[in-house]
Amino acid sequence: MKKISVPRENHWLARFQRSTHHGDVLWSGLIILASLLVLALVIAIGWMLWQQSADARVKLGWGFILPTSNATWDPLSGVFQSWAFIYSTLMTSLLAILLAVPISVGIAIFLAELCPPSLRLPLNWMIELLAAIPSVVYGLWGIFVFLPKVVVPIGEGLAILGQVPVLNSFFTGPIPLSGSSRLAAAMILTIMIIPTIAAITRDVLLAIPNSQREAAMGLGSTRWEMIWQVLLPYGLSGMLGAIILGLGRALGETMAVTMVIGNSLEATNSLLKPGSTMASLLANQFKEAVSQLHTDAMIEIGLTLFVITLILNLIARFLVWQVARRTPQEARA
Amino acid sequence: MTTTRFQELIARNEVAHSQRRRITNAVMLTLTGLLTLLALIPLFWIVGYVIYRGGSTINLAFFTQLSRPLGMAGGGVLFSIEGTAVITILACLFAIPPGVLAAFYVARNPNTPLGVALRFGTDVLAGVPSIVMGLFIYVILVVPTKHYSAWAGGLALAILMLPTIIRTTEEMLKLVPHTLREGSLGLGAPEWKTSLSVMFPAALNGIITGFLLAIARSVGETAPLLFTALGNEQYDVGKIVQGGIQTHQSLFMIIGRIVNQPVDSLPLTLWKYAQQPYPERIDQSWGVALVLMIFVLLIEIAARLWVESRKRALQG
Amino acid sequence: MSKFLRSFVFVTIAFSFLLAACGTVATPAATTAPAMTQASGATAIPASTATPTPLAPGSVTLNGSGSTFQAPAESEYAFAFPLVDPAVAINYQGTGSGAGKKAIIDGTVDFAGTDAILTADETTSGKDLQMYPFLAGATVMTYNIPELDPKGPALILDGNTLVGIYNATITKWNDPAIAALNPQIASKLPAKPITVAHRSDGSGTTAIFTAALTSFSTAWTAGSGTTINWPADKAGNGVGGNGNQGVTVAVQNTPESIGYVEYAYAVSNKLPFAQMVNKAGQTVSASPDSTKAAMADFANAFTPQLTATIVNGSGAGSWPIAGYTYIIIHQTSMTDCVKASKLVEYINWILTSPVATNRAQALGYVPMPSAVQQLALAKLAQVTCNSQPVMTH
Repeated sequence: MKKISVPRENHWLARFQRSTHHGDVLWSGLIILASLLVLALVIAIGWMLWQQSADARVKLGWGFILPTSNATWDPLSGVFQSWAFIYSTLMTSLLAILLAVPISVGIAIFLAELCPPSLRLPLNWMIELLAAIPSVVYGLWGIFVFLPKVVVPIGEGLAILGQVPVLNSFFTGPIPLSGSSRLAAAMILTIMIIPTIAAITRDVLLAIPNSQREAAMGLGSTRWEMIWQVLLPYGLSGMLGAIILGLGRALGETMAVTMVIGNSLEATNSLLKPGSTMASLLANQFKEAVSQLHTDAMIEIGLTLFVITLILNLIARFLVWQVARRTPQEARA
Repeated sequence: MTTTRFQELIARNEVAHSQRRRITNAVMLTLTGLLTLLALIPLFWIVGYVIYRGGSTINLAFFTQLSRPLGMAGGGVLFSIEGTAVITILACLFAIPPGVLAAFYVARNPNTPLGVALRFGTDVLAGVPSIVMGLFIYVILVVPTKHYSAWAGGLALAILMLPTIIRTTEEMLKLVPHTLREGSLGLGAPEWKTSLSVMFPAALNGIITGFLLAIARSVGETAPLLFTALGNEQYDVGKIVQGGIQTHQSLFMIIGRIVNQPVDSLPLTLWKYAQQPYPERIDQSWGVALVLMIFVLLIEIAARLWVESRKRALQG
Repeated sequence: MSKFLRSFVFVTIAFSFLLAACGTVATPAATTAPAMTQASGATAIPASTATPTPLAPGSVTLNGSGSTFQAPAESEYAFAFPLVDPAVAINYQGTGSGAGKKAIIDGTVDFAGTDAILTADETTSGKDLQMYPFLAGATVMTYNIPELDPKGPALILDGNTLVGIYNATITKWNDPAIAALNPQIASKLPAKPITVAHRSDGSGTTAIFTAALTSFSTAWTAGSGTTINWPADKAGNGVGGNGNQGVTVAVQNTPESIGYVEYAYAVSNKLPFAQMVNKAGQTVSASPDSTKAAMADFANAFTPQLTATIVNGSGAGSWPIAGYTYIIIHQTSMTDCVKASKLVEYINWILTSPVATNRAQALGYVPMPSAVQQLALAKLAQVTCNSQPVMTH
């Protein structure tokens, strides 16, 4: 029979075990350390970006990120205004959201409410696999297949809007025949963020209690009315979260965008023209900055991206809180 | 069977509005189905086209040889496959221990200041564009150490993996029934023993799924590697190991040589090759795309199958 | 119990591995070069004799990055040089000349490739950088005009029209200025807008091209350098490509476009490229011969840094947009002497080996004339590592 050896009272091991609550002090120290490490990492990223862009922030001032009608990015003469890239980034991402949200919500409704059970699992999988395809593969397919076959015809059609008074600056054509343009970037981004938004919206819909559905149907609504008037308002907060996540992904996407946007430093408004987003500019120019100020300006672009994600996260939290607070009251009213 | 007055009223009301409402209903419901189909078109198009173009370039040499000079046909992407493996292993080593430990903390103390901060930090980290991670590692590591390396790339990917690992591990730990934990503590086991030997194994399946998903995401990432791993078409782990053994180097030194030089990874190679004007390189980039896609989709599917089978086992 | 221990041990091992990996970082020299490094400094033995045992195959990786202009040549060398010295692996990444210069100044690579000359600031911040010209090449204007017969006569341009196209003052292919230069194909030139392709990354090819534009006409005011604020971009008809390859691909994929690429890329991809009217008023075609003529125009133009600009030469047969491509290394501050000796051996091989020059010539580059070669070799002999000369023979 095996003997259980118990260390004597004042044996060092026993003292050690007692003093550390049988290792618990070490354990909690370890997990707190790991948590602090992760937190320190986030702070370090922000701090590094802030610190390294200090010179650029002082020298270039707010003009660096503020809208200007004719933004210049001229590393040779040291003039840096990043509005053209901020504009391209916002434009492509917002357009992608605009296109992706209706499609994603439609998909989510179909998957959560209508889909025959036998199809549900495979369809869920396929939508989620769409999110797993690496962005370089999207880019490759974009250059050789999607741009010439889909974007160019659509862009040529949209160029007609270049004649319309208000819209003309956004649709000044013609689109380059390779298709490289902000429109191409926005369309690739649309495909890339649909799965993100659709999957979360689907989960939100599935989480809505059945009593809501039964009540709506019991009052005589059709299925669509039940979905449109009851389920979507009920799940609004979750869906907003999904949209913001999608927006975050679109803003920071680098490779696929770099491959299709045309990498031009121009400052026109047109969707049909090539441009550069903040992320694609970093990919293109960071490694070869010609001066210290150029490098610092690049890091300031990184800082801008970081701050935007930070703000988006705060907005997402605020919205979730706000909507969660309001919804029950409205439902009662 | 007699209809009640109430049913009659409903029926009449229904009749009054039925045409428009029924049509709206039918149109909108059909539309959602069509949208789902629309979203699946790119999936099949991409997968189909990549298989079609990539399939014709893949042969044994593709997996076993290094690259040939520009403009010369043949050769393979062994360097890139090895680089991907090395970077991914390093990323896991860097990300999993702190990620799991932090998840233990946040699962136990979600409402302490540190817990709240950590969750917010994780959310921010998940949202930071991956290219910014590349910038970060470039500034704090590549410049001071004066060289690009596999481990710098691994570290950049590790930061990318951390949020996924922390979140899934936390979720899974929370799902472990309280009774298990309390039972273990009640029997006199210290907290760490309970965490590692009761909670962790109970949540292991879900946690591993989280790891797999994190790996699948990071394997496809290019942007953080641009400024950290650089690329290396002459990377040959076999040769390094062989050379190391011949000159009686220690294991430590051989590993050091493997992780301490620039490497390629599949998405990085794809990106570089896709921008080459040489038709052989473009063909190979489709081959790389196929390998990468199969790899990522296999991990992803494996993870999901695992989840499904666990669910079924738990329900059944 | 043992199970807990095992998991604990696992975590500990994982952590120690993490630390170990970090440990290797602290001493990068130790992992790449055997303990010789320290010894050679302390005992004052010249580096190349301080390696008594032959190095294992592939044990020294020379990392370089930069110019895509020279990338096809470097990729040939990377294949051929290990046959000469199996201990060495050459890893060259075509990231653009701007990136190469930044990398060698930051010290993140062992050597850089560039076609752009180091600026005064860069020379100062890089301290002991030395440029070694080893090949020359032409930059050509490749175009994609589907209306033209690929087997028919090539497009002809001159300095002023080129400046006009890149200034976006000439925006259509059937512009009178272009038509006047091309009487044979004037009727086929389409009334379609020109898409102007340029490099999106910092590029030595851009530096050569814009130096030529500056020399052609005072109308070109955007300056010359690796990264340019393109007037054509402002006009909305510019498109950027990453690397020589990126511009090539942009032109291939964009009908009615024009772009500047290195000659070797144009030849190996069978791209059509324009002829140019040079300073002497002659219409010349890009070729190794016309590049040699341009080199001859500026034979005595080499600075002590071994750099020279050879655009817009006055010779009758000179190609007007040509340039040298260089390797940059640290002349005196290398500390890993095994690496230093291999690097010197590599550059020496590039400059002198018939294998290397033949391979480069096959790609359309022009090797250095022997006078320049001698200048470069003399500089190479001055390379030191830890204050000891690296070259012993």
